[in-house]
Amino acid sequence: MPLNSHLPIVQKLGTAQVPPVESRNAPAAPPDEGQTSRYVLQTEVLPLLLSLTCVGLITAVLLMLDQTVAVNLVPIAYLIPVIVAATQWGIWPATLASIASMAAADFFFFPPIFSFQVEDPQEVVDLLLFLVVALVSSNLASRLRLETETLRRREKELQNLYEFSRRLAACFTVSDLILAVQTYLSRTLGQPAVFFVAKADGQFELPKSGSVPRVVQDSVAAMVTTVGVAAHTITDEATESVWLLRAVGSETAVHGLVAVNIGGGSSESIEIKTQRVESILEEVSLTLHRIDIEKAMEDARLRLQAQLLRDAFHGTLSHELCSPLAAIQGSASVLGSMPQIRGDDRAQSLVEAITDEVAELDGFIQNLLNATRVTAGGVSPHLEWTDPRDIVNAAIRQRARRLVAHKIETEFAEDLPLVNVDSGLIEESCGQLLENAAKYSPSGSTISVGAKTEQGHVVLSISDQGVGITPDEQQYLGRRSFRSQRHQTTIPGSGLGFWIASTFVGANGGTIGISSPGQGLGTTASITLPASGMNPSELAALTHE
Amino acid sequence: MSKPTNVVLLIEDEPKIRRFLRAGFELQGFSVIEAENAADGLKAATFNAPDLIILDLALPDLHGSEVLERIRSWSNVPIIILSVVSSEDEKVRLLQAGADDYVVKPFGMAELLARSEAALRRYFKSATENPVVTAGPLSIDLVGRTVSLDKAQIRLTRKEYRLLHILATHVGLVVTHDQLLKEIWSGNQRDNIQYLRILVRKLRQKIETDPNHPRLLVTESGVGYRLQARLEDISAD
Repeated sequence: MPLNSHLPIVQKLGTAQVPPVESRNAPAAPPDEGQTSRYVLQTEVLPLLLSLTCVGLITAVLLMLDQTVAVNLVPIAYLIPVIVAATQWGIWPATLASIASMAAADFFFFPPIFSFQVEDPQEVVDLLLFLVVALVSSNLASRLRLETETLRRREKELQNLYEFSRRLAACFTVSDLILAVQTYLSRTLGQPAVFFVAKADGQFELPKSGSVPRVVQDSVAAMVTTVGVAAHTITDEATESVWLLRAVGSETAVHGLVAVNIGGGSSESIEIKTQRVESILEEVSLTLHRIDIEKAMEDARLRLQAQLLRDAFHGTLSHELCSPLAAIQGSASVLGSMPQIRGDDRAQSLVEAITDEVAELDGFIQNLLNATRVTAGGVSPHLEWTDPRDIVNAAIRQRARRLVAHKIETEFAEDLPLVNVDSGLIEESCGQLLENAAKYSPSGSTISVGAKTEQGHVVLSISDQGVGITPDEQQYLGRRSFRSQRHQTTIPGSGLGFWIASTFVGANGGTIGISSPGQGLGTTASITLPASGMNPSELAALTHE
Repeated sequence: MSKPTNVVLLIEDEPKIRRFLRAGFELQGFSVIEAENAADGLKAATFNAPDLIILDLALPDLHGSEVLERIRSWSNVPIIILSVVSSEDEKVRLLQAGADDYVVKPFGMAELLARSEAALRRYFKSATENPVVTAGPLSIDLVGRTVSLDKAQIRLTRKEYRLLHILATHVGLVVTHDQLLKEIWSGNQRDNIQYLRILVRKLRQKIETDPNHPRLLVTESGVGYRLQARLEDISAD
């Protein structure tokens, strides 16, 4: 028998290569429960019917050929529908085809014909051998088919992954990335992925209702956006599907949370899918990190541009505005010294008005220049040992014009130590505080300026008898452009003064404090500066010879 | 007007500024030459032999400090700098490069005239040979090495006198910390500005009516000190 001679080889192959493949090749889960019956009909019943049809076709062909075909060739011919069924529809249709083929061969071709009985015991053996060969080869063929399918699916997955990484590389914003992740996860898992964006208050923003079940929403609401939160799964009782929740972010910040419906199934398949989603999200985190770096670089570029703009502004201010101002101020001063004007009181007062206005304008410009210096990060103090008295005197002298309406009293402690500061900056700060004192206290009142030593520090204080300051206003004092509502309409100003003063003092390692016993009871501003450790009398001893 | 007219050269590119400078100086009896750029200025400084140069730092063709250096390479003529930059470092650099003084824009004419007079006085001092310098109620006899306040002689230590002497030879003009430290302390104490601060404090106690509000020996923040020629010189800039 030619068939017999093939048998040992086929069997060897079969025993060596038929591992349990069920779990790996488990069919994909049905997409929708409503279509289950139609799905079963298409995937289970139809292949069985088709394989039977194939057997019928071969039988018909063999019957047409009839006696011219040797009975011995019949089993070989019946292997055709078996192999076709195995490669096309899998193991069960192939098994059915094998049994049907054996039955058909017996019925139509083995004597007695048109009966399932067999006369010759040799032919019984032949038929049984055929069955065995058919089953083994259908098994092998269907395995081959499954492996080819797996390979195809893997290739598709790889293609998706490749496309995904290409999309990741093209992501420049977090929202691009979210879209890419959602598309990819939906495509590979056949399930929608939902992204919850992290909000500034440490919570995740909940999406419109309906996209995720209630349990998942509740769980997300309970989570906070801290770096390093592990992924976890939640089972939705209603649909028996498992949701994986995982925070997505770079090393420094959490950008959001992804919720993926992994579906149901055995714990092993859930494990595999979870791992796959995890590895994708790992990739996403790396991309987020890259986006963070790019954003930082973009920020740096913008800062540089702002800096250049500020420099240009600084240059324009100092040249285009200071030059005409110098011409006005100079011309007014020459005019004021002319004999004709000197003799005329009215003309003299007009010249003084010009000079005063120019001084005011110059003050504003200096404030703006100082403010741009501060915001440009350009305050780099040039420290030098200085006598605090010199600083206070210079500040008073510099603001003499603004202080004419007030009585200035100074009190310096004996033996004041030197301070190591940038005298220009502290002078300006002191001047700003003096100006504020004059602005917020009535004309004719006294402004007391003092310098004393306090626990290794020198404290410069400026006290007025003015409107005072409320605790509420005190809170906002350090902010740029802060102006109290009480004075906005009555007293002119830009609100830059105190901010400049505190920044300049801060750059010198000092602090500014404001205190007021209450509204209408005056204000005391004090600048505290680190003092020289060396006693002035010690230093004085050294200056001798 | 029997005294000879002083010639002042204005090197300044802004016509508006030149206009009031001319008026201001002419009012004080100066004769004025104008130059609107560095090239013209250098030419005028060479051929017109001015007694005083007012030099703007921001010139279209050459930086003012370069002009200063070129003039200083062959002339001791007093030079006063006009600038909008008020950085202390820049002021010190200019003074070290040979400027007699500086005025920061915007400024009043009185301030510039006071500086100019002081610079001219120092420039012509060698010609007049007057050994006594007066600064308000203070008079310093540079030859006799005596100092009197309101005609009463006062006693100074050697270092105090040395400090006052240097300031007196530049009366009305600013003298940098560096220059003072170099001339008072030789050797390794040179950089110690703390000593200078204390020395000034002690000298003020002897020459000022109110040492807490000095009116004679005034501080130029971050730059140096100035001995005022007259008490009323305290400018409101």
